[in-house]
Amino acid sequence: MLLELDHICKIYGELHAVDDLNLTVPQGQWLAIVGSSGSGKTTLMNMIGCMDTPSKGSVKLEGRKLEDLNAKQLADVRKNMIGLVFQKFYLVPHLTAVENVMVAQYYHSVVDERQALEALERVGLKDRAHHLPSQLSGGEQQRVCIARALINCPKIILADEPTGNLDEKNEKIVLDLFRQLHEQGTTIIVVTHDALVASCAEREIMLNHGVLVGEKWNDEEARKAYEAAGGKPAFTGSVAEGAQHGETAIDFADPTKSAKTGGSEK
Amino acid sequence: MVADRQSGKSGNGAEPKASAKSATMTNRKMFATMLWGAVFRRRSRAIMAVIAVLVGAATLFCLAAVCIAVPQQMNEEMRAYGANLIVTPRESGSKSNGIDSADARNVTALVSGEYGAKTAAYRYESVRINSAPYTLAGITTADVKALNRHWNVTGDWPSAGNVMLGRDVADALGVRIGLRITIGYRASDNGGASSASGALGKTESEVKQDGRVSSSIMETSGTEFRVAGIVDTGGNEDEIVYAVNADVAKLAGSKRGADVIEYSVNAVGSDLDAIVKSLNANPNTGVKAQTVTKITSSDTRIIAMLQTLFWIVSLVVLVLTLVGVGTTISSIVSQRRNEIGLRKALGASAHAIGTEFYVESAIYGLVGGLIGTALGYLLARVLCQTVFDRAIGFNWPLGLASLVLSVLLAVLASVPPVRRATRIDPAVVLREE
Repeated sequence: MLLELDHICKIYGELHAVDDLNLTVPQGQWLAIVGSSGSGKTTLMNMIGCMDTPSKGSVKLEGRKLEDLNAKQLADVRKNMIGLVFQKFYLVPHLTAVENVMVAQYYHSVVDERQALEALERVGLKDRAHHLPSQLSGGEQQRVCIARALINCPKIILADEPTGNLDEKNEKIVLDLFRQLHEQGTTIIVVTHDALVASCAEREIMLNHGVLVGEKWNDEEARKAYEAAGGKPAFTGSVAEGAQHGETAIDFADPTKSAKTGGSEK
Repeated sequence: MVADRQSGKSGNGAEPKASAKSATMTNRKMFATMLWGAVFRRRSRAIMAVIAVLVGAATLFCLAAVCIAVPQQMNEEMRAYGANLIVTPRESGSKSNGIDSADARNVTALVSGEYGAKTAAYRYESVRINSAPYTLAGITTADVKALNRHWNVTGDWPSAGNVMLGRDVADALGVRIGLRITIGYRASDNGGASSASGALGKTESEVKQDGRVSSSIMETSGTEFRVAGIVDTGGNEDEIVYAVNADVAKLAGSKRGADVIEYSVNAVGSDLDAIVKSLNANPNTGVKAQTVTKITSSDTRIIAMLQTLFWIVSLVVLVLTLVGVGTTISSIVSQRRNEIGLRKALGASAHAIGTEFYVESAIYGLVGGLIGTALGYLLARVLCQTVFDRAIGFNWPLGLASLVLSVLLAVLASVPPVRRATRIDPAVVLREE
């Protein structure tokens, strides 16, 4: 498995932002983490992305326990294995689009403007390459963010509400980009409360107040392949009501889905 | 697309060994691009940082330059308010011919050699005015005037045929400026043989009357001088009549050296004592030197007080300025916590982030330091020109120190916020927006 979460918790005082979660994700899977605001989705993503550390439990990436790594090694994991897409884009405001992409190259290895321009071309922004973020629309900034995330060919793309600030047109562009990346074998973990975005993923898990409360598959073939590879459903050790324990996945109805899709299933 | 780059694992700006020279240059160019963007595309913040450093550097340079220049300037100014060293002939006595011109030149060279000095020579003679005895001082007007700028002179200083009376003398004689007085010279009053000189140019024999030298105390003959001015110092000078050396020589019928040479040396305290000691220890000078204690001790005290006051004020202002500069730079860097968090999330090491921000701060320090030092010098120059009426030169070591301190300060001020931001998990920093 590419990613293994073993009884991880994130505790802030009395609050369990993530409560005893076990999850495995193989290479190439597209996973959506859904849940309402404050359910612990982003906290979970930050721990997977080496940007935050769990209070308890262990995160393994390609078999390496992240808690055993020092700050420099964690930085190496971030730059070599992970591509980050944020809801708020987080572009460096005083660098142009292509320079923002090259920043990721700079910290990874070597800067190559041609490749950065190719990445921007791939997200349809080559003609906006030399514009500052303030001169770009929200959708364009998110596409720059995606170009930056994929420039170093990461093994995992972690996207936190990637379409949260976008209109439908730009949402479609971004989801198409994710589809292309998925087809190329990139593992994608998307945190969202958007039913449409979640339904594009092969697999969904649902969190509620930090507790795993459900899991479902949108792609049956992917489920079979996962189980054939020894993959098991996610589970939690939490005793909270509705928590998903054991070997059986609890299906769930995404409360936001009907609002977004008008009640029709994918 | 970029699979060929997967082999490059060095990260944070370091280059993989396999990469070509051009790749190294590209990363350096990227570093420069990021700096350029931070400095020139965020002009308002850059200008704020530069102004903060500029103010600090200008204050530092101006205060330090003034602190260094003021005691020197004050000393030079105070040198115009009387002598701090006097020399008299070593063999004193009524027969003394004063300090001859060769000795005077020698002593002046010794005294003014290292420190520089103003000098004025005085030849004293006893004379009679309206039969009453007075002291007549032969002087070179320009020298005495330069040495004693505190003298309050009404009218003019002495010139040929014109004398300047001390206030007490003028009051005793009841004369005012423009009136004429007759000054008589008697050799007997000056410890010489029974000789007297009355009118200018007349010899001793010519003033003998019936083979006798006049010795009447009522004798009022002499040379007539116009009263050009009256000097009022409140001191001994008020009891003296001043005339130019040539008039005194004519009146006395002979030329001779000065009885006293006053020096206003640009030295205080132990330096001045050392000069006195060396003059007295030198057998070839033919003079006896001593300090004017009243002047030297007050000079030393005033200058020391001024210097202390200036340094204390300067230090307080400097500390306040440094705190201001540090706070401003620190605040500017703190505003970029999110950017630091983002860079860390992208895989930058704390070292790489630190390097970028410290170099950027150093640029602000350098630019601000250069402009601030130049402004500080102009300010110090104007200040000294206004207060002391003298220009000060640019102090290069001080300028360099100001520049280095500006850069150091800017970098040091950015260390705490950068370290704080890089120590926290990037998720926490990004969440703070």
